[in-house]
Amino acid sequence: MIEASLSRPAEPSPPGDSVLAGYPVAASGYDEMCSAPGVLRAHWRALAQVLENIGGAELERRHAEVQRLLQADGVTYNTYDDPQGAQRLWRVDNIPLLMTGEEWTALAAGMEQRSRLLDALLADLYGPRRAIRQGWLPPELVFAHPGFLPACHRSLPEGRRWLIFHGIDLARGPDGVIRAYGDRAQSPSGAGYTLENRIILARALPMLYRDAPLRRLASFLETERATLASLARYNPESPHVVLLTPGPSSPVYFEHAYLANYLSLSLVEGEDLVVRDGRVWLKTLGGLRPVDVILRRVADPLCDPLELRGDSLLGVPGLLQAVRGGHVALANALGSGAIENPGLAAFFPALCRHLLGEELKLPSLPIWWCGTAEGQQHVLTNLERLVVRSILPDEPHWEGDRLDGKSRLALIERIRAAPHLFVGQESPPLSTAPVLEQGRLTPRPVMLRGFAVAADDGYRVMPGGLARVSTGLDTLQAALQKGGISKDWWVLAPTPQPHVSLLRQAYGPIVATRDGSDLPSRVADNLFWLGRYSERLDGTARLLREAFGRLLEWEQDNTDERCLDDLLDALKIPVPPVAESPRARFFALRQALLSALVESEHPSNVQALFGGMLRTGRAVRNHLGDDSWRLLNRLQTTMQNTPADLGGRQARELLEEELMLVAAFCGLNYETMPHHQGWLFFDIGRYLERVLRTLDLFKLAFITARNPGLPLWEVVLAITDNLTAYRRRYRSALHPTAIIDLLLFDTANPRSVGYQLRRLQRDIGRLYRPEKSPYCSAEERLILEAFTTLQLADIKALSTLTHDSTSSSVELARLLEAIQKPLAGLSDALTHSHFSHAEVPRQLIDMRP
Amino acid sequence: MRYIVTHRTLYRYSSGVALCHNEARLLPRRTAWQRCQGSRVAIEPRPSLSAEREDFFGNRVLYFAVQDIHRCLEVNVATEVQVLDNRPFEPSSPSLPWERALRLLRESPDPEVIEARLFALDSPFVRALPEFRAYAAPSFAPGRPLLEAVAELNRRIYKEFIYDPHFTTVATPLKEVLKERRGVCQDFAHLALACLRGLGLAARYVSGYLETLPPPGQPRLIGADASHAWLAVYLPGEGWAEFDPTNDCMPREQHITLAWGRDYGDVAPLIGVMTGGGSHTLEVSVDVAPQHELEPER
Repeated sequence: MIEASLSRPAEPSPPGDSVLAGYPVAASGYDEMCSAPGVLRAHWRALAQVLENIGGAELERRHAEVQRLLQADGVTYNTYDDPQGAQRLWRVDNIPLLMTGEEWTALAAGMEQRSRLLDALLADLYGPRRAIRQGWLPPELVFAHPGFLPACHRSLPEGRRWLIFHGIDLARGPDGVIRAYGDRAQSPSGAGYTLENRIILARALPMLYRDAPLRRLASFLETERATLASLARYNPESPHVVLLTPGPSSPVYFEHAYLANYLSLSLVEGEDLVVRDGRVWLKTLGGLRPVDVILRRVADPLCDPLELRGDSLLGVPGLLQAVRGGHVALANALGSGAIENPGLAAFFPALCRHLLGEELKLPSLPIWWCGTAEGQQHVLTNLERLVVRSILPDEPHWEGDRLDGKSRLALIERIRAAPHLFVGQESPPLSTAPVLEQGRLTPRPVMLRGFAVAADDGYRVMPGGLARVSTGLDTLQAALQKGGISKDWWVLAPTPQPHVSLLRQAYGPIVATRDGSDLPSRVADNLFWLGRYSERLDGTARLLREAFGRLLEWEQDNTDERCLDDLLDALKIPVPPVAESPRARFFALRQALLSALVESEHPSNVQALFGGMLRTGRAVRNHLGDDSWRLLNRLQTTMQNTPADLGGRQARELLEEELMLVAAFCGLNYETMPHHQGWLFFDIGRYLERVLRTLDLFKLAFITARNPGLPLWEVVLAITDNLTAYRRRYRSALHPTAIIDLLLFDTANPRSVGYQLRRLQRDIGRLYRPEKSPYCSAEERLILEAFTTLQLADIKALSTLTHDSTSSSVELARLLEAIQKPLAGLSDALTHSHFSHAEVPRQLIDMRP
Repeated sequence: MRYIVTHRTLYRYSSGVALCHNEARLLPRRTAWQRCQGSRVAIEPRPSLSAEREDFFGNRVLYFAVQDIHRCLEVNVATEVQVLDNRPFEPSSPSLPWERALRLLRESPDPEVIEARLFALDSPFVRALPEFRAYAAPSFAPGRPLLEAVAELNRRIYKEFIYDPHFTTVATPLKEVLKERRGVCQDFAHLALACLRGLGLAARYVSGYLETLPPPGQPRLIGADASHAWLAVYLPGEGWAEFDPTNDCMPREQHITLAWGRDYGDVAPLIGVMTGGGSHTLEVSVDVAPQHELEPER
């Protein structure tokens, strides 16, 4: 290898000037960048120069920029154990990990062979089982691993491939050799994060990425897209490919949404799909739409509650039978989790000769399976330099050199009791790569995840992949749960490569589906609720803001504060008992209002309302614009940063900020979402919620108020943002009839019930209806009833309220009631007609052992 | 012996079922000692789709889907079976000492022996915990012929356990069965499997039917029979020897084999997933009718 001095030894750069200064290289290990202290490997020279030119301070600034972009894009990794669904932000280091083209070519050849080998192995294990019958693989190793699913035996039609997309974990040892140490087939995550890393780093560090001599990732994803399409038995021209995700609670949901978007796939969950007539169908607003190919990110056992795990709610009953019929193709095939068995690697060299007739190219980290006498002997006598792992997933691993006497004996006992469940693996120190820390490069251990995808002839390997900083041989999941740092892995090309935008390239013939009837029913449902939660949050925040405002005014100017009791009623906050002094009352009221901001159990808690908004928003992530999504993330940050010891003034400012963001979110959706079926549901959700709240407010102000009269009317106008409009129009003191006209009948005023009903009627009239019927649907009838009731109302009869009237209007109460009644049934009617809330499939008999 | 076995399952639902997918393992296997002349399958309402296949263990599986809204589902399978009296082992068959059988199981390169090792491993319903091994130990004295030892274990389960159809369900842990010494045929078969696997032997679960003989002088009651379960232990290189711990015997002409697998989970007669349905009731009736009753031998 050609190596170059970073700086002439005679004149070392003064420390502090250089980002590379004092980069400590461990004497015994392997560093990706430096072969010895101060000696750069040749392929790092150009990058080092660029980094040097940028300088440490600027790199740190760029790093902050990267983190900001990640946050804005909502690149997250969920942690299961967080009840609030708090997400861990994906972290990326600025400094790419470089690999020469020559080294990668050899590595890729080994990875390609490994993919072919494991595909052949799956075909054998779920078919003739020669590997077992001939004694190349011990049956205990294969059959005791929960990844091997007998139900999948001979489930693929002839000529189908088992392994389409393959994730391989790699690590370089002190000897400089890259070895594989694990395979992922059920849900091989990381490719989406790899793409996002590259896109974000290229945005934040254009000087590094523009025209850099690195292999681009686009062609690999083009192969993946083409391969998925080629799996379709029907519709070869425009096959319907979906990405099956466990849903927003999955740790890697971000990636699922991202890949679905990138590859132009429908993002679906198990309950969106149904097997009928032996085929898989997507439940959409327009009825059932056939699915040809499923890119699957749900674990094998959870995919079919009929034949696999019966208690799974994520799967599709009958899926495996549909696969057998050949009517749907899965990538990867069900049962492919069998190759995630860590013990198999001990047998790869022989299997490769038997199954492929080739010598194994990519070595694995040396591993011994305890199921043979020799293997067990080796593991027990070399325990202190091995990592012992169970072949069962979700078991801990044991680092031999860290065991005390007692746990060592316990482990030996466990191994002896069930030796076939254990492997011992060498765990050499990982190679190190530079990571930016406080403006300096610091060596940190790294590991790699590479990807291969099936192509016509064999497999294509992604030129690059996900590198991550790691202290040991963690699984990707474990590392991410701990909040690990990822890096962009570059494969160098001989010449600069143009940066091709990876975003949003349209593929293949576009089938115009403008009416949106192919929208999954679940998505429509979530958009409807996203609209309702947004509006509920907006309405609650407005009430709270107004209440805090009145409270503070009262404190300063001793104004009439009696309307606060009514505001508390509107917020469903218990009114505090009569206080001894105004000061005591002030504190009691403030405390009561603050509780809605900080107590998560509170019915009017803005955090909980936002939680609903975020949950439904995540479930329809692919249907929101990027900027809308960023606003939702910013709103989340604002919510999360609510201090526990809030004052009244701060609370009002916070609510102000939240209201702006919610308004911006809804406004952006109006501006950017095509006004098709999905948007209609969002809009219906918002306006249904708004009209219900407006009617409630009316009731409160004119019928049930504890302290009716001017101050309360003013509050109502303020909450509905109509004080200015009122003053402009009437230029007079408040009069109830005028208020009623403005807020009930004026169909040009978006805050009026009349406007809201008219908008609902228009939206509902535009909803897709599968069969053209001359009759009105239930929801059309309900909204017609509500709107007509309003239109037929006699305003004169309502005008009996006078300026100082304190008696409630019977007529008004009757009218409000008559409008509310049909609206109350509207939500259910919509659910019934459009969201096909089929019950969750259930087992005939409970088969759980 | 010739039989006509009729197995009827009836589900009634409190509300309509819109869609159900099912798998039935109700078609008897064909073996060297069992011939199936033909089966008549009647499913009501008529399935939109059905397909027969062989599963991993070689059992005959009938998949069917009912796609019309229905309030009850009836599955009726009648099979004409001939059981020959030529099962490979009988109580007096000579056999290897059990330790030698164990060593052969581990070391033989014979593909059939290698594949049988699957049945020495734990399975979802049967975990070979130390207490099962301890229970088996007295029957497995050093050097004792395998069949003799298993026969004794079989007899001990028969004698020491009470047949109690109200004590267990599918979900009752096997430890509970051992502790309380109660259960049904399925529990006793699982228990024997756990004991044998605990020793390292390969043993499988067998589901089927048993001809029940009426008390002398009384007519046979139609539909009074039930599904039955027993087990088979593997003798490396020789084959599978069946034992019925519920009846302290080795199955012969009266045991009709449906399916086998690692445990009950692999061979449940009828499973299904449905959408809708509310609550449901289940009726099962089995009738094992010796053919000579219906059609005197010529």
